[in-house]
Amino acid sequence: MEIASGVRIGPFEVFAPLQPAVSMVRHYGEHHFPGRLIVVEGIDGSGKSTQLSLLHKWLESKGYGVVFSEWNSSPLVKDTTKHGKKKKLLTPATFSLIHSTDFADRTERSILPLLKAGAVVLCDRYIYTAFARDVARGMDRAWVRELYAFAVKPAIAFYFRVPLETAIHRLLDGRDGFKFYEAGMDLNLADDSVESFRLFQGRILSEYEKMIPEFGLTVVDATLPIEIQQMQVRQIVKAHLDKAKELRVQA
Amino acid sequence: MRETYGRLLPEMRLGGLAGKLIVIEGTDGAGRSTQIDLLKPWLEELGHAVVDTGMTRSPLAGEGIRRAKEGNNLGRVTQALFYATDFVDRLENEIVPALRAGFIVLTDRYIYSLMARAIVRGMDPRWIRSIYSVALKPDAVFYLRLGIDQLLPRVVFSRGFDYWESGMDLYPGHDMFDSFCSYQAALLTEFDRLSAEFNFQMVDAAADSRTVCAHLQQNILHLLERDSRKNFMSRLYNDSTAVPQADDTAIYAVAAPAAAPTTNGNGHHPHATHHGQ
Repeated sequence: MEIASGVRIGPFEVFAPLQPAVSMVRHYGEHHFPGRLIVVEGIDGSGKSTQLSLLHKWLESKGYGVVFSEWNSSPLVKDTTKHGKKKKLLTPATFSLIHSTDFADRTERSILPLLKAGAVVLCDRYIYTAFARDVARGMDRAWVRELYAFAVKPAIAFYFRVPLETAIHRLLDGRDGFKFYEAGMDLNLADDSVESFRLFQGRILSEYEKMIPEFGLTVVDATLPIEIQQMQVRQIVKAHLDKAKELRVQA
Repeated sequence: MRETYGRLLPEMRLGGLAGKLIVIEGTDGAGRSTQIDLLKPWLEELGHAVVDTGMTRSPLAGEGIRRAKEGNNLGRVTQALFYATDFVDRLENEIVPALRAGFIVLTDRYIYSLMARAIVRGMDPRWIRSIYSVALKPDAVFYLRLGIDQLLPRVVFSRGFDYWESGMDLYPGHDMFDSFCSYQAALLTEFDRLSAEFNFQMVDAAADSRTVCAHLQQNILHLLERDSRKNFMSRLYNDSTAVPQADDTAIYAVAAPAAAPTTNGNGHHPHATHHGQ
C-alpha cells in the first residue's frame, strides 16, 4: 500500500498533542494562545537580523515580554548539525531533516510554551527558510511543507526583499568567501564559493518570491535605509499588537 | 525495479539495487538482535555478503540521539524527527549503496517501529507516513510478535525498566511498571495495525530462538531462490532491467558459487546446497 497518498497537511496546522496518548490532535495551527509570533525572513545579507534586533529593543521598551529564537540554535540538536556540516556528512535530505529536528526542539521547548505564556516571540528565520533552502537543494516541495506541519503559524512573517548583488556586496564587505553549505557548495554548482553562493541564493530568492502569495509574507524593501524599514516594521507590528488584548505587558 | 513508499529523494536512483532488503521488526525484547546475530553468519556461509544496520547507528545523528535521550527532555516531535534524520542518513549512505553492490541488508527495525513510536506519542499518522514516504519498500518484513505477558519478563527481568522503553515521557507520574504496560500495549496495537497495511510476515517470537531462526531461514531462502530464478529467467530473455550494471559487484546467481559454503554440517539450512545455481 502506498503512503503519503496526496494528503495535504499545511504548515498552518499543528498536531503536537497536549495530552499523552491522545493521537491525531491537530489543533494549534491558527493558535489561540495569548502570545504572538513574529518572524523575519530573507537571504543572508538582507538585513533582517538588524531589523529584528531593533524591533526587539523597541518592544521591550514598550513593556512586552519578548523572547528571541534563532534558526539552528537548539541546545539538543545544534551539535549534530555542526558535526554534519564540519564532516560534510549532510545530503539535501539529511540537511533538511536535521534542521527540522532543531526547529521542532525550539517549537516544543520554547516557542509554544512562550506563546501560551503570553510572550511576543521573535524568530530570526522560520519554516520559510527551510522551504526555500531545501527546495533549492532539490527536495520535493510538498514533502518539505508536510515535514513542518507541526509549526505554528506566525502572526506576521516579514520578508526582507533584496537584490542578490546587494546582498553579496554587504556580505563580502565583512569577510572573505562563504561557508560550504551556506554557498550551496554541496550541490556542485560552481567551484568558486562566491559564484556558487550567487547561483544557490538565486534559487532561494525565486523560492521566496513564490512563497509571498502562498503564505502571505509581508514584504519589506530591504534596499531602503535601515530607519525607514524599521519604521514600517514597527507600524505593522504595533497595529497587530494593539489588537492582541491578552498579551502580557508590564505596567 | 525497486520502489519507495511514494516519494523519491534527490539523486536516488532506484535501478540496479540488486541486493535484498530484509527487515526484522518487533517490539523491545522480541529477540530481533539475537536473530540478526544468527542470520548474518548463516547468510555469509551461504555466500551472501551481508550488511546489518539498526536504529541510531548513523554517523550523523546516532551520537546526538543518545546524548539527547540522556537528558529526558527530548520532545515528541523532536524525537520523531531526530530518528528520521538517523534513518535517512543510513538509507542514503549505507542501505542504498549496499543494495547497489548486491548485498543483503538485514535491518534491525525499519520505518515501521519509528512510525509506531511516533503515532503512540500522538503524532498525526499522515504526517509520519509522509516523512517516511522516501523509504525503500523492503523485500520482506518479518515481525517478531510477542504478547505483553511474554514481553514483560523478557525485558524487565533481564535488564530492568528503561525510561524510554517504558514510555515514561508519555506517562509522567506513573510508576515504571504501569507506564511500561500501557506503552508496550499501545505499541503492540499499533504494530498490529501496521502489520496488515505493510504486509508483515508474522513470526511467533514466543518460541525459542532456534525455532524462530529456522522459520526465518526458511522464508529467507524462499525469497532468495524465487528471486534468483526470476533473475536467471529474465536474463535468458535478455530483459535489460535485470542485467547488472557495472557497479553491481554481486547478484545472487553469480555470488553464491563464488563463495560456496565450505562446511555442510549445519542442519539449519537444508536447502543450502540447492541454492547456488
